[in-house]
Parts: sequence; structure tokens; C-alpha cells
Amino acid sequence: MDKIVKPGIKGGVAFAVLLVVLTVVLLAAGCERGVDDGRVTLRFVTWKPNIPEVWDEIYRSFEAENPDIRLVREIGPHSSTAFHDLLTQKLKNRSKDVDVFLMDVIWPSEFAAAGWAMPLDDLFPPSEQAGFLRGTIMANTYRGKIYGVPLFIDSGMLFYRKDLLQRYGFSPPETWQEMVRQAEVIVGGEKGRGVEIYGFSGQFKQYEGLVCDMMEYILSNGGTLLDHAAGRCGLAEGPSVEAVRFVRDEIIGRIAPRGVLTYQEPESLDLFIQGKAVFHRNWPYAWRVSNDPSKSKIAGKVGISRLPHFPGGRSYSTLGGWQVGISSFSGKKETAWRFVSFLTSERIQKLIALRAGKAPTRTALYEDREILKANPQFSEMKDVFLTAYPRPTTPLYPALSNVLQRYFSKVISDPGSEIEREAGAACEEIERILALER
Amino acid sequence: MTGVRLSLLTRERIFGVVLLVPCFLFVAVFAFYPILYSFYLSLHRIILGLPRLGEPFVGLTNYRDLLHDRIALHALGNTFAFVFISTFFEILLGLAIALVINRHFRGRGLVRAAILVPWAIPTVVSSQMWRFIFNDKYGLLNFLLYGSQTSSYVAWLADPAYAFTAIVAADVWKTSSFAGLLILAGLQVIPDELYDAARIDGASAWQQFLRITLPLIRPALLVALLFRTMDAFRVFDLVFVMTQGGPADSTNVLQFYGYKKIFAEGLMGYGSTISVLVFLVTFVVSLLYIRVVGRRFLQEMG
Repeated sequence: MDKIVKPGIKGGVAFAVLLVVLTVVLLAAGCERGVDDGRVTLRFVTWKPNIPEVWDEIYRSFEAENPDIRLVREIGPHSSTAFHDLLTQKLKNRSKDVDVFLMDVIWPSEFAAAGWAMPLDDLFPPSEQAGFLRGTIMANTYRGKIYGVPLFIDSGMLFYRKDLLQRYGFSPPETWQEMVRQAEVIVGGEKGRGVEIYGFSGQFKQYEGLVCDMMEYILSNGGTLLDHAAGRCGLAEGPSVEAVRFVRDEIIGRIAPRGVLTYQEPESLDLFIQGKAVFHRNWPYAWRVSNDPSKSKIAGKVGISRLPHFPGGRSYSTLGGWQVGISSFSGKKETAWRFVSFLTSERIQKLIALRAGKAPTRTALYEDREILKANPQFSEMKDVFLTAYPRPTTPLYPALSNVLQRYFSKVISDPGSEIEREAGAACEEIERILALER
Repeated sequence: MTGVRLSLLTRERIFGVVLLVPCFLFVAVFAFYPILYSFYLSLHRIILGLPRLGEPFVGLTNYRDLLHDRIALHALGNTFAFVFISTFFEILLGLAIALVINRHFRGRGLVRAAILVPWAIPTVVSSQMWRFIFNDKYGLLNFLLYGSQTSSYVAWLADPAYAFTAIVAADVWKTSSFAGLLILAGLQVIPDELYDAARIDGASAWQQFLRITLPLIRPALLVALLFRTMDAFRVFDLVFVMTQGGPADSTNVLQFYGYKKIFAEGLMGYGSTISVLVFLVTFVVSLLYIRVVGRRFLQEMG
């Protein structure tokens, strides 16, 4: 017995030591760096693009022109919210794995206040900023400093079936009411011809896009989400409530399929390019997709215009788009800036506009013949871009957005919802969040 | 060994302790530390978006806020509803599965393996699959119900009540077989002699089930119940993939709400408070089960 136990103890100790060593080694291995070939490695966190070939070409030509830099891309999820979670998780941990990143238009103030994005005023002075659309510069400015360079701009647009509007003798609707009326006439008429089609498709799932869509209805009725400076919430005021009720009763309750309550951009666009919707609200990229015969059944039959408004209001588009920022924890500011200025240069923005259909942020490109030839809608869109309205700019935007998403989803998915009461409750929460900032 | 001679018992004890060290270290690093750290965070106000506010100690303020947070309470209600309904059906279905695959028939091995497939598929993948099944335009469910009458198709995930039912259904589909496996283990230890004796005494199949099977698999049933309750309480991936908490917050569960608070809104302190709440509830539930079940379970199995 004695002889059996003794080696047992030693064996046990050795085993324990081995396990501990193994754990430490495994943990350390996770932190190891790759090989070094003399080039500086630049890490760029980006999302999975719709048309990857264009972006691959851009990255290749950057490396060709800058042989001393190796560009390592980290591809995040396509959804802005999921991308935000991934990127902020890295920045929160002061990760050295991020040098340059893309930012959605609603993030710069958050990233600036949190100290994640580096102020770029010395590299991107006001003289340079003057060449960009004003709204995009505003969105990248927080407390007088600039934190990102606008890459491309998005704003809500109304897409419609040119052929159907023509058949029924309509011109693109000026007001939302007109759109509902036209949709009903066309849907009814098409039904008589044996064609099944819905009146409208848009984005009404409980997510960031819902805020974008709803804001366009509220603002085009003279309402407001919130007055940030005064710390006041406008959801419970008459025009806002009226616009929300219109969406619930006239859009979702009448001309759109109930499925839109689960749609983000891709699903809603899918309905439109399958020829199953008369009107469609989306960002400018939908123009290229819906006119691509390999993807769309309605190529060549698509019209584009400003979003409608309520009688007495004026058309509003939510400002979207993406910016390029540099991480405060990068330590390679100069190298990073070379990439940022390359990516946002006139040459590359033009390439992106021509090949990926993204609207440029540099004002001068709206005069470019080639771009306008490839994207005739841009000339019309420039006015929209100039007046596009940003979502509230505050570092606490994500928290606000969650309250807004919850409120909108709640009142539009239930036909019997008490809008005023819910708006009041949402306002209380919003004001509590805004109070944190003070 | 020279010098001091330890008794056999002492040496065995030392050996035992030494063997426990790696496991303890593992649990300490990956379980105790995060739990204690979450508790520490939950006593502070930490807003990632506003570092200039610092990270002040606020005592139990976060917990008080949580009690008055109607969305958190709503999510808590959803979570409890999800736990009760899904666990109930999972145990029921699991029992049926176990009884079937415990019988002798041709191809039993194949059936046993097939029944475990749903459980083996990663939740994210199966949630994605269920999202497609419930899709309003090309979903399988609509096709089965309405065929080519596309105008009658229902947008299941757009309706608060249906959406909640959908995540319960997906969970029941996925984990019933796991419950079944645990119950099967209980079934297999019942000696055949008991059934032989019952048959000789003239007991019907139903009587055999009630008087022999059910009492003897009770420990296994309770273990399955324990595992499923705790697991269901931590539901996250189904909601994340299928509904993102919508529509109208009808599928917002506590874990998803906490995730939103920490990862989307950057409210580390408040989000941690929600995590601590989830931990406390699962902890209390497991303690209850272990007190009520554990002792009897040990007696019966041991």
C-alpha cells in the first residue's frame, strides 16, 4: 500500500504543475504576434461589403502604392448594431489590434467622448473639411473637434415602380397620404390583372433602422424626436404622435405587409426587387441593386425621388453613411492617416461611386460627368444630402436609440396601442438618460 | 520518504487536495472571478460613453433602479414565462422520446442518434433555421399551412404573441432530446424483473408506468428539470438571432436586455447588475433543487 501511494502523491503534484503550466502556455499563445517582414502592419476593422471586388481592388492598390505598409483587414458583421458591439468591445479593452476603423454616422460623438477615436484636427484642418458635404462634417464633430473623415453618405430615399405609376397616370407622390392613395389604386388595379403586389416596403423591425424610418415621418410632420440642447423629448407632442399613428394605421395597417415589422434593409429591398411592392424606402445603394438585371426583376422600371411629407410639412431624410476614424490606442497615427486620406481621397471616392454605387461625401464629385452618368440619381440626391438630418448627436445615443426602438416597435406592431401614454413613458426614460450627461 | 512519517489517511488527504488544485484554479479563474467582478461593477456607475464622469461607487443604487425599471421587469416576466413553458414541454417531450428509444426495435441505434441531432446543432445555426421556417414570404410553416395561397401567409415573427411562441417552439425542438437523454439514463437502470413481476401480478401497461417507471425515473426527471430550468433562464442566442427582442419587446429576455445595456449602451455598472440578478436567480433555483432533490437523489441513486 505504502509503495502505491507515494508515487501517487508525486504523480499528482507533477500532474497539477503540468496542468497549470499548460494553461499559462495556452493563454500566452493567444497573445502572440505574427511574423515580421519589415513592413508596418496596419489593422483596419471594416464590415462585409455588398460588392467585395471593389474594396479588394482598393486595398490592393493601397498596398501597391505604399510598399512599406501591410494592410490587415478584420471583417465585422454587416449589421451596424452588431458591428458596433464588436468594435467597441475592442476599443473598450484598448486593443492594439485596431488602428483604423469605420464608424456609422451616429457613433463619432460616442467614440470621441469615450476617448476611443483620435481627434484629427491637425491632419484634417477646416480648409480640408470645406470640400465635404456640411452635414457629414457636422456628424464627425464633437465639442469643436473632428474625429472622423466621411467616406460615403446615405440618406433615406423613395424608390417607386416607374412603369406602374405611369400605367395609372400618377406622378411621384408629394405627401404620404398621396402615396397611400396611389398605392391602394395600383394594388387594387393590379389585383384585377391577376398580379399580387403590396403598396409599400420599408424597415420596421426593432433595430436601429426603425429609428431612421420613423424619424422621417415625424420630422416631415413638423415633429421632433428630442431637443438635445434643452434636454427635452418631443415624442409625446401632437405632430409626433400623429405621424406615428399614421404609420401604424395607414402604412403598416393598410399598404405594407405586416412582415415589414421583421424587415431590415435586405428583406425589404428583396420584396421590392421581386416586383412585390409599388413603393420602397431605402438608402441610395438600392438604386444599383434594383437596376441590376441579374438580381432584380424590375431593372429599368425603377424611379427615385425625395421622401414624401405630411401636408404642411417638408420632406426629411435621415442622414446615414460611414466615416473612417483612427483608434486612440493605435500608436501608428502617421501610417494610419496615410490610409485614411487614401481611402477618402477624391480618386477612391469616385471609384466607390462608380463601382459600388455609394454616394460620395466630397461636394466636387457631384459635378463629375462620369459619376453622374453611372448614377443619374445623384444629381437629384445632392439636394437631399444637403438637407439630410442627423440623428441626435450625443455620446449616449445607443441608449437613446434603444428606448426609441422599443417605443416605436411597441406602438406600431399593436393596432390598439396607446400612443400618447407610451410616448410619455419613453420620454421619461429619454430625459433620465439625457440627465446623465449633465 | 524519510523523517516524518505521515499516516496513510493524511497522505491520501494531501493527495486529494493536490488533485483538486487544478480544477479549483480553473473554476476560480473562469467562474468565481467573473462573478465577483460583475458584483463589484454592479455597485458602481460606469458609463463607457462618458469617461469624464469617472466610475463612482453608488452602493445599491443600480439595484434600486432595477426594481423600478419597467423594461427590466417586463423582461423578467418574459424570461419566467419562457422558462416555465419551454421546460414544461421539454420534460414532457423528453419523457416521450426516452420511452420510445428505450424500447427494443430494429434501427434503434439510428433513431437514438437521429434524435440527438437537434441538440448537436449549434443554437445560432438552428435559430437561423427557425427564422427561415417562420419567414412571412418563403417560410416552411406558411407553405405547410397555406400552400400556394400566398395572400394568407402570416408574418409570424411580426406578431408579439406568435414571436414569443416561436422562440419557445425553437427551444423545445432543440433541447427536448437532451432532456430525453437524461431521462433515458434513468430508464435504463430499472431492472426488467420489476416489469416481469408486475405482469405476473396482472398490472396493465399504464399501471406499470405509473407504479414502476415514473417513481424510479423521478431522480432522472428532476436532474433534467434542473438542467433545463437553469439553461432556459439564461436564454440568449435564440432571441439574438430570431427577433432581437422584438417586436414590441415581446421576446426581450433578461440576458438579452443585460447584453444590450453593456455592449450596445455601454452601461457597464447597470448591465452588470442585471447579470448579477440572472446569476442570483439561477443560483437560488439550483440551491432549491439541490436541497429538495439532491438528498433524495443521492439516497436513491447511491
